[in-house]
Amino acid sequence: MTVRDALRGVAWYLREVSGETGYERYVAHVRREHPDAAVMSRRDFERRRADDRDANPRARCC
Amino acid sequence: MGSRARSIAIWSVVALVGAVAWGVVALVRGEEISAAWLVAAALGSYAIAYRFYARFIVRRVLEVDDRRATPAERLDNGVDYQPTDRRVLFGHHFAAIAGAGPLVGPVLAAQMGYLPGTIWIVVGVIFAGAVQDMTILFFSMRRDGKSLGQMAREEIGPVGGVAALLAVFSIMVILLAVLALVVVNALADSPWGTFSIAMTIPIAFLMGFYLRVIRPGRVIETTAIGVALLLLAIVGGGIVEESGGALADAFTLDPETLAFCLIAYGFAASVLPVWMLLAPRDYLSTFMKIGTIVLLAIGILVTLPVLQNEPVTKFASSGEGPVFAGSLFPFVFITIACGALSGFHSLIASGTTPKMIQKESQVRTIGYGAMLMESFVAVMAIIAASILEPGLYYAVNAPAGVVGDSVQSASQAVNELGFAISPEALQRAAAEVEEESIIARTGGAPTLALGMAEIFAGATGGAKAFWYHFAIMFEALFILTTVDAGTRVGRFMLQDTLGNVWKPIGRVSWKPGVYLTSAIVVAAWGYFLYAGVTDPLGGINQLFPLFGIANQLLAAVALTVATTLLIKAGKLKWAWVTAVPLAFDLAVTLTASYQKVFSGNPRLGFFAQRDAFSDARDQGEVLAPAQTAADMDKVVTNSTVDGILAALFAVLIIVVVLDAARVWVRTIRAQRAARPVTTTEAEFVESELFAPAGLIATPAERERERELVGAGS
Repeated sequence: MTVRDALRGVAWYLREVSGETGYERYVAHVRREHPDAAVMSRRDFERRRADDRDANPRARCC
Repeated sequence: MGSRARSIAIWSVVALVGAVAWGVVALVRGEEISAAWLVAAALGSYAIAYRFYARFIVRRVLEVDDRRATPAERLDNGVDYQPTDRRVLFGHHFAAIAGAGPLVGPVLAAQMGYLPGTIWIVVGVIFAGAVQDMTILFFSMRRDGKSLGQMAREEIGPVGGVAALLAVFSIMVILLAVLALVVVNALADSPWGTFSIAMTIPIAFLMGFYLRVIRPGRVIETTAIGVALLLLAIVGGGIVEESGGALADAFTLDPETLAFCLIAYGFAASVLPVWMLLAPRDYLSTFMKIGTIVLLAIGILVTLPVLQNEPVTKFASSGEGPVFAGSLFPFVFITIACGALSGFHSLIASGTTPKMIQKESQVRTIGYGAMLMESFVAVMAIIAASILEPGLYYAVNAPAGVVGDSVQSASQAVNELGFAISPEALQRAAAEVEEESIIARTGGAPTLALGMAEIFAGATGGAKAFWYHFAIMFEALFILTTVDAGTRVGRFMLQDTLGNVWKPIGRVSWKPGVYLTSAIVVAAWGYFLYAGVTDPLGGINQLFPLFGIANQLLAAVALTVATTLLIKAGKLKWAWVTAVPLAFDLAVTLTASYQKVFSGNPRLGFFAQRDAFSDARDQGEVLAPAQTAADMDKVVTNSTVDGILAALFAVLIIVVVLDAARVWVRTIRAQRAARPVTTTEAEFVESELFAPAGLIATPAERERERELVGAGS
């Protein structure tokens, strides 16, 4: 494994774990499962997602 | 043959290293030992446990089946149910379970010496904590991600269900109060710390606004900006402190003021939209948490500090320790919950994680593995506390009622405890981290920060004051994240419950309901926080045992549910896997509650304490450490409330376990009579997904992944 691969791995992990890839995943999901449905813009999607967290709080342990 | 022989050789070496390390840790006396031995003993044990015990549970007891589709695969909706890469989910799960708990408990338990705490952390996690996390994750996953409360209600019955709900709510209240108390004790009269922490609120607003309006969804760059500002805030705190002027005065707050600030903050966090405050703080705190844990691990491995603490102190048997009262059994097992066995985790393991897991076999990596990692954090915390000179440790951790408020009185009190530290040394220790005083800074956070400052300053060659405040800041940061998220979760639980009685209050968008339920939750933990802050006997000393009992009570509920489900699945012969830890947990919790309620020793038993103080009050006397008649009243009220709670916890556990035992007997009879036992498992659906089981894919798994990509699936 080269240094480049390692850096790419770290970048992949950070993007996944922070949820940055959520939008790409959503677009892929809609295109695959509902090809005729409209796809939300990134801004709308992120807004929806943040507001969902309003209604479903996640506990953090001690 | 070659690979099998190699495997046997490798595991024999691991076992040997672990065994030798345990031998050194347990047997070497009279000379100081290196922290390296503790690390080796822990890591060796974890490796063996993960390889053999966790594998046995997954294969034989739970019988995970990778042909069965998980809820993430079957119900994938791109929102809460979605198959998530195991390494990513491991990160999420670990960040959700690990917080200040594994750092605080071990520090307090260090008063019994490093040995009892370390043994419990390692043995407890292997046979109890990680088993609980993994089995609950598995059972919830088989039921489309049902919560622990739902499973308790469905599997045990309404009585057990209600008791479980009460247990969850009361642990939430006590947990939030104790954690907030830790923060108050760390920040009181410290302008540096208070300024840095206060700055995290505007920083979070800024990040929230940036994420919402300017760059939606760009979490990484937002977090990077936040972390940079945070480091600036720590440096800024130093400048504020040195300026010594009006600005320093404005951030020098007494404990009571700080308590009210935290209560107001908790309320605001619960009613404001998540994107404004809670979500950005969560990003910040998660990043800092992982970063600091990694830093601490590197610091310990690089400097390999020498332990100054005794292996077992006299307080283990006398039960007269100043940090918390009571002897080794049961109080080490109560004080160290997170890191060894933590009931709270069962809420996470039956929350979002089971809805995102790709393959059944991954419960071992995520449920068992993440808990082993938390346990290692706890081992590092006990190391950090044990490298301090014992005299310093007791001066910091004994309540103000014992050590007084000057370096002279503290030095004398520590001498009376049987340890030595000079007033000059105490003064120097405070000056080194640029604090006014470090005496009676109970709650664990300052002790850990001193230990970490020692390690980091050793590794980087100085800047002890910066590292101390860095450690304080990150602990306070993620404790506050638990407090704000917890208040919100508590509010939802209350809204949900009250909504059954009166509909409108259950609606999450109805503002008066939101304000009212938030106020009730905040008032509940705020009451205990305020009582703890003003308690003449020291809030941590009084409340920490209650927190431990509540957490272990929740663990008892979780292990009872797991045992019930094993029995219902016809696996009575394997039920010991969860029943033995349950029995131990019951012995610990019930003994602790019994002593807290019935002990005739006023230092240990709440009601004995109440009687001693109320009798003295009626005679017009004032008992130390109380100083006024009003102090006497406070002690009487607090010990009554705490005693009632301890009794209530014990009753709740007994109710849940008896109710479950009834179900066990009924189920076993039905099975013997060959009557069918209904299952609550979701139906079997063939899985079409493939993913490796462990964090690192095996060569065979990699080969399979390549094939699937090649086939275009």
